[in-house]
Amino acid sequence: MQEIQYIGEHLMPGRIGHLAIVLGFVASLLASLAYFFATQRRGQAEATQWTLIGRGAFLTHGVAVFTVIGAIFFAMANRYFEYQYVQAHVSDELPLKYIFSAFWEGQEGSFLLWMFWHVILGLVILFSGKRWEAPTLSVLSLIQVCIGSMILGIYVGFGDDPVRIGSNPLMLLRDMMDAPIFASADYASQIKGNGLNPLLQNYWMTIHPPTLFLGFASTSIPFCYAIAGLWIKEHKDWLKPALRWALFSGGILGTGILMGGAWAYEALSFGGYWAWDPVENMSLVPWLILIAGIHANLIARNTGHSVRSTYIYYILTFVFIAYSTFLTRSGVLGDTSVHAFTEMGLEWQLVGFIAVFLLLSAILLGIRYKGIPSPPKEEAAGSKEFWMFIGTLVLLFSAVIITASTSLPVYNKIVQYFDPVFEGRVITDPIPHYNRYQIWIAVFIGLLSGISQYLRYKEFNFRKYASRFGLHAGIALAVSGLFTYLTTLWIDVVAWQYLVLLFFGWFTIITNIDHLITFIRGNLKQSGSSFAHIGFGLMIIGILASGLNQRVISNNQFVMDGLIEGASNEQMRRNILLFKDSPLIMEDYEVTYTKDTIDTFTRTFTVHYKRRNKQGEVVEAFDLHPNILYDKSFTKVAASNPSTKRYWDRDIFTHIASLPQVEIDMEYRRQREDSLNYRLHQGAIGETVTFLDTVPLTDMDTFVVKSYRAMVSGIDRHPTHPDYHPEEGDIAIGASVQIKRSDDDSVFTVHPVLVLRGQLLYSYPAQINELSTRVRLNEGVFDAVFTPETELNYQQFSFQQGSKINLNGYQITFEGFNRKPKHPNYQPEEEDIAVSGMMSVQAPDGKVYAAQPVYLIRGNRPFNLKDEIPELGLHFRFTGIDPATETIEMMIAQADPKPMVIPFEVATNSLRSDYIVLEAIEFPGINLFWIGASLMMIGLLVSMFFRIGQVSVRRSVGL
Amino acid sequence: MKKIYIIAIVMIAAAIVLLTTAAEDMSTYANFKDATKSGDRVKIAGQLSKDKEMYYNPQEDPNYFSFYIRDTKGEERKVVLLSEKPQDFELSEQIVLTGQMKGDEFVATDMLMKCPSKYKDEEVYIKEEGE
Repeated sequence: MQEIQYIGEHLMPGRIGHLAIVLGFVASLLASLAYFFATQRRGQAEATQWTLIGRGAFLTHGVAVFTVIGAIFFAMANRYFEYQYVQAHVSDELPLKYIFSAFWEGQEGSFLLWMFWHVILGLVILFSGKRWEAPTLSVLSLIQVCIGSMILGIYVGFGDDPVRIGSNPLMLLRDMMDAPIFASADYASQIKGNGLNPLLQNYWMTIHPPTLFLGFASTSIPFCYAIAGLWIKEHKDWLKPALRWALFSGGILGTGILMGGAWAYEALSFGGYWAWDPVENMSLVPWLILIAGIHANLIARNTGHSVRSTYIYYILTFVFIAYSTFLTRSGVLGDTSVHAFTEMGLEWQLVGFIAVFLLLSAILLGIRYKGIPSPPKEEAAGSKEFWMFIGTLVLLFSAVIITASTSLPVYNKIVQYFDPVFEGRVITDPIPHYNRYQIWIAVFIGLLSGISQYLRYKEFNFRKYASRFGLHAGIALAVSGLFTYLTTLWIDVVAWQYLVLLFFGWFTIITNIDHLITFIRGNLKQSGSSFAHIGFGLMIIGILASGLNQRVISNNQFVMDGLIEGASNEQMRRNILLFKDSPLIMEDYEVTYTKDTIDTFTRTFTVHYKRRNKQGEVVEAFDLHPNILYDKSFTKVAASNPSTKRYWDRDIFTHIASLPQVEIDMEYRRQREDSLNYRLHQGAIGETVTFLDTVPLTDMDTFVVKSYRAMVSGIDRHPTHPDYHPEEGDIAIGASVQIKRSDDDSVFTVHPVLVLRGQLLYSYPAQINELSTRVRLNEGVFDAVFTPETELNYQQFSFQQGSKINLNGYQITFEGFNRKPKHPNYQPEEEDIAVSGMMSVQAPDGKVYAAQPVYLIRGNRPFNLKDEIPELGLHFRFTGIDPATETIEMMIAQADPKPMVIPFEVATNSLRSDYIVLEAIEFPGINLFWIGASLMMIGLLVSMFFRIGQVSVRRSVGL
Repeated sequence: MKKIYIIAIVMIAAAIVLLTTAAEDMSTYANFKDATKSGDRVKIAGQLSKDKEMYYNPQEDPNYFSFYIRDTKGEERKVVLLSEKPQDFELSEQIVLTGQMKGDEFVATDMLMKCPSKYKDEEVYIKEEGE
């Protein structure tokens, strides 16, 4: 085959990127090895040299990762569509602000984002890690080797079927696929990008992935410290830095997960913030284990117990991050998740990633296990550490059962491997399934996080302390009971299980507030844990309120009852049909769809809500603005964005579920217009035309004959129409048409428009939704309104200012010049010399009319623009000026008067298109969820800052 | 024996009990025949019959969308989804429905669509005339 010399390709970013990918991979391998030897030979002279090599390699790795990212960004920003990744994620239309989102939309980009954060975190350790630098960065570099291999994109092996390692984001499209277009040398200029999925074109996609991936990346650090601790057998010292990092990670990962929920709730039309989707679950599981790790770490720091558990929890956290990566990126979730990535052919590599770190950790832990110090005496039952440890077990337990259910597709795959006829199992209704088990986890966490705040570390003399404990716990129980009761007045708690959960939600809030006030006396530095636990309690109450009492308010029983055969209340009827300007009662609200506006591809609807009191007075009124986003070709709705009214105690969530087909698909709209059964009618202005038409009855295969009366009430030579944008040279005619149907009292007036632009006719019909009727003008209207020039018999007249002539009984006067003429077909240009003659005409009946024909010299050539007085049939052309005598030449013609008969067409089978299908849900108490969950993350971060502060204080004391 | 171990054993026992009871929440992907026989709420996976009618008229009922799918055994049935017609529905290859048989129709309350990776064809990314 002949080699093609391609033109217009930009190969430089690709070459640099390829080089940087390989360099980054090799450098991370080298960094891992160098730091390995630095750790192994610690205390010896050569360790320093190994560390220096490690640093150099890690910094090189960092530069390489930044370069790869830079190269991809460069290609994306310049829209080099010859690159597959650029073509797949960017388009010419995509605004530059979404370039970040486009970058991490794909698997390769998100791997790079993850690596980017690892580099940043690694640099922090490199500069501040001291003796932990070498062992932790050796592990971190090994992680980078594994992730880096996912984007290598090299083929290993021989023969016809080499194994591909990784998927390179800088591959050229023509290397990835075979297509006839690559036969042309300038193909690069002929391709366009796909662009970013419109669903992802919002600010959430800009902030959620980086936060989540920082969360993912930061779980590696406690893991690295755990491995380092085991490795160099310093089972105590690693606990302090690991705790700080774990708190950081818990706060950030939690925030990332929460942002996902907020995105789903606020910008997507999922109608909730958590759906137990496998992808959501697998980001929650590592966080739960991490939180267990933090608590074990606290126990270990304060009592010396639980060092082994701390190791295990931090290791598991990272292993589950790897497992989560496998689940979401291997395609195994396919049928069960709405937002897993599609497969990329990296399944085995991802399995390898898990295996490497699982085996490495397990072996190391096995070897060191016996040597990990553990106090001989067991925790006392009245001590804080005992109950905290139980709490960590509950968290682990929660993580295990979530993972077990979520991993069902993996289990299916494995069984099917051995037994191909095995039919995969699946959870029929995931949400109730997960809720049923997690509710008890939450109850235990509520109980334990309340009780253990009253207990003390290393308590071996609980009896002495028991009365104080009893007093506080007793009061807290009583107050919680009271608050639980008060809450049930506000929300409907439908089952005793939820009542128990509500009680323990309050219990943890009350005990932690008590702890904050009476035990640590408002000392902000120690308040982190109280904040986090209060947040947990609030979150539980918020979940109960918004989940149990969420009400779909867009179901109007009056409309629905009896209309649909077999329909019953138990079925979820979430949508309601809302005609424009027709208010509908939804629960407490009177809802009206009032208008919609379109701005490029976004169509925003205004939905007006009104709430009345018992006397019928309006006590509240507000507008919501849900919108939809069309795709580039206006053939479908790419995204539907909800709009939410926020109260302190509830939200009203509104989104457009559907629109009339003609409003969604412009192609369908054209087809529909063509299929309409238009009939031609004509009548003089003011004359009533009566006609009959058959109207099909919905659902009944029958037709009724209805009579219509139509009348053209006027003609407009400068018409307006919502879809018509005038251009120079247009000849446009509009008519006012009144239509009345025999069975309806109203008379509807519509304004169809017909435009002649060059040789093409453009019709702008008008719709009467109430009558399902559409009216348009027939092209014959031009003949009726305009007299063709060829039929006019012009006579030439000369005028001086003020002179007057008589034509067929009309007194025509030349009143003077207008040096700034205005004429519908005249657009002034700079060099123009233009005047109009102001002509006034007095008709025999005494009425006075005016006309202003224009005389124009443009580029040394004379032109004239005619004017006419349609009522009189008089046409004027201003054809010359003699400057010497100030005389003008005017051609005037009078057409034969003829009755103006306006032809128009009416179709009575047009469907209504002035409605929206709306879904509206009320979420009570949802703010408690957001406030509580945020408070949890703030609590974690407060604790982290407090612990960093602690270090610097001790340092300054030490000096 | 340490108290912690006792608690851990209790938890493991609880986990085993829970996971066995959880088996009730699980089922295999059913086909129309199974669903008719059992009458239970099931999940059905199938292919959209693109040549058959898809009906959604919000003016009549905004919560009624009907179409036909062919299940894994090749049986074709009418499905009623009690919700609006989702975007891109015509493009979907594989459909997973949750619901139960009512007479000859499968009434679904939940649907998950798998769309093909859209941009496989060459013409999709070649610029159009005048663009």
